[in-house]
Amino acid sequence: MTDELDLLKKDWQKKEEHLPKLSFNDIHTMLWKKSSSIVKWILIISILEILLPQLLYLIPSMKEGMEIYKQAGVSPYFFGVSAVYYIGVAYFIYQFYRRYKEISVLDNAKSLMRKIIKTRRTVKHYVIFSLSVCFIMFVIFAFFIYFNDAFLLSIEGVSERTSEVSLEKIKTAAILAMIIGGIAFTIVLGGIYFLLYGLLLKKLKRNYSQLKKLEV
Amino acid sequence: MNKELEHQFVTELESNQNIVHKVCTLYTNDRDSHNDLFQEITIQLWKAYPKFRGDSKFSTWMYRVALNTAITLYRKSKRRIQTQDYESVIFKIKADEYDETEEQQLKLMYKAVKQLGDIDKALVFLYLEDKDYSEISETLGITEVNARVKMNRIKTKLRTILNP
Repeated sequence: MTDELDLLKKDWQKKEEHLPKLSFNDIHTMLWKKSSSIVKWILIISILEILLPQLLYLIPSMKEGMEIYKQAGVSPYFFGVSAVYYIGVAYFIYQFYRRYKEISVLDNAKSLMRKIIKTRRTVKHYVIFSLSVCFIMFVIFAFFIYFNDAFLLSIEGVSERTSEVSLEKIKTAAILAMIIGGIAFTIVLGGIYFLLYGLLLKKLKRNYSQLKKLEV
Repeated sequence: MNKELEHQFVTELESNQNIVHKVCTLYTNDRDSHNDLFQEITIQLWKAYPKFRGDSKFSTWMYRVALNTAITLYRKSKRRIQTQDYESVIFKIKADEYDETEEQQLKLMYKAVKQLGDIDKALVFLYLEDKDYSEISETLGITEVNARVKMNRIKTKLRTILNP
């Protein structure tokens, strides 16, 4: 019995003449077009993810906030956590750069996919780390509100309110707000992140699992 | 120097463009996406060109970059057809379009191949391009044995389409 695929092969090779033909100039102009490859998108999104939290400090209210922390004695903790955070960020940027550099279109398909997934995993760990640090900051504030009345009173508007509502109540409300705010912040940012990468890498993951299935 | 490299690259690609067009035909469904993928492959080839040392043939090197781009790097998938399980494709075709004539058979096979998953498609493509199993396995990063096994499965499936 003749091999059906060989029948197809013969026809496939005959079909060449029907293929489009691009001129030298057509191809030449393409060289300077922008790539829209998945690797480029991972790079852009990752840079944004590293830069965006840093931009928050440029907002004026954040600067004012720093003054309040200084007065209330939160600063040492704040700076302690920040130091840990930036050491972490530096580590992740280094890891990301190293893995990103390893990605090469000249690799075999499987290895290329694995390297892209590894690079993305670095970003994933960075995001988890970042969100954890944010959450810890919220928890530190909650603690300070609990143990340090002066901190709570130093927040604008609180001292005027104490005549109407008891300090205890304001305290409970503030702690609750911190915890709920912290959880909501973490979930929302985490959600955006996983959605973004989920969509970006859906096809890659499907193909990678197809390739891996062949190895069983 | 750069101009020279550019000229050399475009000339090589121009004379080997069929390979890229064939990949685009397999992995896209309309002219716009075809051109889009062609452009992305060209960009990737050009970016990698300085690393091309000429120890392999330019065309051999192109297969790898073109397939990697189509399977992995190319992001726009809106206009691509939904890939389905082979089984479901076969049954559908068997039921409503079976015909004895060779042309019809080929049509069915092309249709079936186009609806394969990205990886299976790559395997069939390299096979149709007359690549041996060692090259297929190197391009995809699987073992030669696995490439053979998978290819045989695909052949069997195609056979059942045509000889139900």
